[in-house]
Amino acid sequence: MTFFTVITRGLTRRPVRTGLTIVGIAIGIAAVVALVGISRGFETSWATGMKTRGTDLVVSNMGSALTPKPYPATVVDRITPLPHVAETCALLADLMSVETTDMMIVSGRQWGGFTWKNLHIIAGRMPHDAAERAVVLGQTAAEVLKKKVGDTLQLETEELPVVGIVDGGAIVENGSVILSLPLLQELTGNEGKINVIDLRVTPGTTKEELRQLCDQISALVPEARAVIAGEHVRDSQAYKIIRAMSWGTSLLAVLVGVLGVMNTMLMTVFERTQEICVLLAIGWKRSRIVRMILLESAMLGLIGGIGGVLIGIVGVKILVQTPAIRGLLEPDLNPQLLLSAVGIAVVVGVFSGLYPAWRSSRLTPSHALHG
Amino acid sequence: MATPDAGGACVFEAIGLTKEYDYGTVQALRGVDIRIAPGEFVAIVGQSGSGKSTLLQMLGALDHPTAGELRYRGAPLSAHGDLASYRAHEIGFIFQAFHLLPTFTAIENVQIPMFETHRSTSERKQRAMELLKLVGLEDRLHHFPSKLSGGERQRVAIARSLANGASVLLADEPTGNLDSENATLVLDLIVRLRREQQFTLILVTHDMGIARQAGRVIEMKDGRVVADTLNSTSH
Ligand SMILES: Nc1ncnc2c1ncn2[C@@H]1O[C@H](COP(=O)(O)OP(=O)(O)O)[C@@H](O)[C@H]1O
Ligand SMILES: [Mg+2]
Repeated sequence: MTFFTVITRGLTRRPVRTGLTIVGIAIGIAAVVALVGISRGFETSWATGMKTRGTDLVVSNMGSALTPKPYPATVVDRITPLPHVAETCALLADLMSVETTDMMIVSGRQWGGFTWKNLHIIAGRMPHDAAERAVVLGQTAAEVLKKKVGDTLQLETEELPVVGIVDGGAIVENGSVILSLPLLQELTGNEGKINVIDLRVTPGTTKEELRQLCDQISALVPEARAVIAGEHVRDSQAYKIIRAMSWGTSLLAVLVGVLGVMNTMLMTVFERTQEICVLLAIGWKRSRIVRMILLESAMLGLIGGIGGVLIGIVGVKILVQTPAIRGLLEPDLNPQLLLSAVGIAVVVGVFSGLYPAWRSSRLTPSHALHG
Repeated sequence: MATPDAGGACVFEAIGLTKEYDYGTVQALRGVDIRIAPGEFVAIVGQSGSGKSTLLQMLGALDHPTAGELRYRGAPLSAHGDLASYRAHEIGFIFQAFHLLPTFTAIENVQIPMFETHRSTSERKQRAMELLKLVGLEDRLHHFPSKLSGGERQRVAIARSLANGASVLLADEPTGNLDSENATLVLDLIVRLRREQQFTLILVTHDMGIARQAGRVIEMKDGRVVADTLNSTSH
């Protein structure tokens, strides 16, 4: 018998209570994994989306909304002469309710701009020209909307034919409805307005020069800010709120887990008072009692943490398949997040065990052994 | 009154040992003076509530005396440093209610005190097996306490008390919860083990038949020693 046996015996003596406590932590940790994984996934999905488009800088005004504010298309003309600027592509992008879905990326792109070039036709064709009243769908968007080439898609007030299905190489691209800029401007009543400029710099531009260019553009164009692609989402107010909310909710869930473990460990210390006194009477050091209680609660945390990570992963996988957010993001469940979630659970366990352990170490061996 | 030889040779020497409970409202020990020599078999008798258990607990360092001095092998117990180590290595304690840990098997219960030693896992198991054999329970190794009879439980507790080679065995009414047959069995076992292993035995009982087997009988009343007699008939 090892000391570990003593720990497991302490946990298995009340299997139902131990199980429920573990479930309690597991749910908290699952919430951490799901919420943080999704909010970070939102960020990384946009970053990879930008990268596959070949965008280095994004000029937009994220403000406090989830989508950037429109500004005059003439801003492009002020940016193109700047050093290091190789190419620009003006866009009008919006999150819109399209037919049966609640939220879908609708992306109107300057005809001939480089953001069209990474789209690979899987079925059908691209629009003939900027004037053709038609859309192409990213492959996920097509699945979610249940459309194939030849169907029509209701966008605002107009029925537009779906002429092609494309693979954009990234989740935000594949989840988008894509059409030419002037058409979307007209449909949404935003004539002459854009809200994003994707900017590509000349090869060999350093990160330092990229930052300088950002500053230059932001100074030159008061309507918008230039941010290195991928960072623009993280910078946005809306995303900050999402992130704060996901951490806040996670924290609450973890707090509930803490209370659960603390309650369980206190109960176990109370009901084992006599046994703890016996252990002290036969010579166990107080530090060993403390270690026993802390290891028991750490074990609760560890098992709950591992369980929570598994539940979280499964939960997120299910969640991103739901029509509401399908195609909007790919969860970011990197090993670091999963490990920190387990780590948080173990810390929660140890922390919750501190007071019960302290209580048990204060016992006098004779206390429960009279007679 | 019997007074064994000089101070230095004593296992225990209590001087004016006093224990109060509940902020002085209960005086369990009112100035106990005793000396116990190595290898002695002492029976402590007295009415219920006379302070027998309290005295035993003071000797076993399960609690601190309120006043007075307690010396173990010449040194004050308070100077003995780590009392946990004293309890683990010097003293074996047996309770009337056995106090085995219910979630551990017989052999595991006997191993519990050995966590405070440097024995390896396999050494602990080996020694626990030998001890259980010594108390005649080699066929009960993997039974949980709930599956053992009272007599068997107390024998496991005896094996546990000897796990770290204690030189003093403190037994608080060890047969008090047993039928007469098992009581005899357990008492004979304790007496036999004492003869074999030469430990000092202090045994609380109110059975005069048991007390007669001891070399010395200390009688307590109201927290005081009222009689201390050497038993000439005993061995
Ligand atoms: N933990 C305690 N708190 C309060 N009173 C106690 C406690 N332990 C013992 N006593 C009291 O001290 C006295 C002596 O008790 P005890 O040593 O158990 O006697 P005995 O073992 O001779 O029956 C009794 O009056 C008992 O009620
Ligand atoms: Mg008693």
